[in-house]
Amino acid sequence: MAKELKLYLGPNHPGMHGNFSVHMYVEGDKIIKTRPLPGMLHRGFEKLMERRLWMNNLALIPRICVPEPDINEMVYAMGIEALGNIEVPERAHWIRMIILELARISSHLMSLGGIGGPTGLYTGPNWAIADRDLILDIFEEITGARVYHMYIVPGGVRKDLPEGIEKKIIEYLDYLENRMPEYEELILKNPMIQKRTKDEIMLPEEVVWELGVTGIGMRSATGKPYDIRKVDPYARYDQVEFDVPTATYSDAYTRLSIKYQEILQSIRILRQVIDKMPEGEVRARISRGSALRWKVPAGQVYSHIECTRGEYGYYMVSDGGDKPYRIAVRGASYPQGLLGVEKYLPGHRIEDAAIWLDTMGVCAPEIDR
Amino acid sequence: MNSTNNVENIIEVLKNNFELIKTETPIKNQIAIEINEQDFQTVLSFIKNEGWRQLTLITCIDWIKENKYELAYTFMNWENSVTMVVRVKIDREEPEFKTITNLYPGAKFYERDIHEFFGVKFEGNKTSEKPLFLELWDDMPPMKKDFDPLEYSKRKYPDREYKVDFKTGEGETNG
Repeated sequence: MAKELKLYLGPNHPGMHGNFSVHMYVEGDKIIKTRPLPGMLHRGFEKLMERRLWMNNLALIPRICVPEPDINEMVYAMGIEALGNIEVPERAHWIRMIILELARISSHLMSLGGIGGPTGLYTGPNWAIADRDLILDIFEEITGARVYHMYIVPGGVRKDLPEGIEKKIIEYLDYLENRMPEYEELILKNPMIQKRTKDEIMLPEEVVWELGVTGIGMRSATGKPYDIRKVDPYARYDQVEFDVPTATYSDAYTRLSIKYQEILQSIRILRQVIDKMPEGEVRARISRGSALRWKVPAGQVYSHIECTRGEYGYYMVSDGGDKPYRIAVRGASYPQGLLGVEKYLPGHRIEDAAIWLDTMGVCAPEIDR
Repeated sequence: MNSTNNVENIIEVLKNNFELIKTETPIKNQIAIEINEQDFQTVLSFIKNEGWRQLTLITCIDWIKENKYELAYTFMNWENSVTMVVRVKIDREEPEFKTITNLYPGAKFYERDIHEFFGVKFEGNKTSEKPLFLELWDDMPPMKKDFDPLEYSKRKYPDREYKVDFKTGEGETNG
């Protein structure tokens, strides 16, 4: 008779995104019971935000999500604009879309290449990180920072795009478009990846609704285009054309290939944005005087956008003061990262646990906050 | 185009069926309602049947001046793209509420989260009182407004006195 053993996955593991640990009780190579152990990245963001000015928080919030920090700035700005009834200049909407889509590509590249971690295909992450770095170069030119940009601010964006950046973005998109078939050859058509991911790690539709999974997990299981950019468009996503890749059979391979197709859609969006972007102001004043004296009218609002892992949102409460009264962060990987790991990871084999976490889109910093 | 009508219709239906303390539409495609504690389960089963199948977030707000906690439950309906926020005020001194894991199983960890950070007990959720993020926490729930993190860290990790004599050691050069 096999003996039950306890095995720790993470916090340091090639297949782990950030410091997150799963305690697995295994029998042979089968997982019997699991216990998610978050909290290693808990930095008390929600409490810190209550103790800082509205303006000060701009430097704090991008740190909640490392691969895609701009979503935090966007939901924060959208929340303040909703509470304060601020009209954002037209050009700022389009610049925001450039930033968000570039961040989306860079995050997707990281996770598409990242499948190499749990499967042992280390060429994937090496290529992807190198291509992502070229996006960071563009970010550096636009915002002055590579990872945490603090560029999308309430009322618009911090400053206008530098001259000639459109050309550089187009050049990069051309490069990436030529490069994508190589990723397909390397990752999606790789027999080893196919063997490990096809018909493995299923996500049925009932589980999606039970847990509250959003993003790629939801779209790959339900076959419906449930993308907030389509369903409840923000910025100017209603004025660009793009498709939402879906599927009705959600195994790990389907979710991986949807990531690949979404990169192609983001490239399509970016080309249209650069084409259609109008000239003009990029930032509206949100109140008189120094930014340190910003006050936001009292109220409560939930603002949400689509990030690479699903619906990302802030529940924001203002009491009319110069600091937020309460901000709650809805990390997109909260449902699958905690209840999903506890309930649906058991039954898989040990070596599939890391692929499970990778393709479900579990990101530790946004769970811990 | 018809999304505003849509939102108005939904509010109308809710008003006819339940006693609402407050209704708001903070942004397009969002409804926030405040209800009484005793109506809570019926309102939730109603909106779940109406299409709000996804639980997005549960959060708690500490209104220390009123001596009340406000629980805010956010649901998403992907069919008509309307977000519904259901808010309910509960007592702050002995905060207790019923779990919604019978309707939305995904609430399990959100409730555990709120218990850890605010001290709200959820009746019916057995695991909600276990620690989750904060290891070996020994003070009041930290997201309460009267918890001062600065004072806590001063108390928990007192300043140590130490002397430093700067001497040029061997192998170091001046300037």
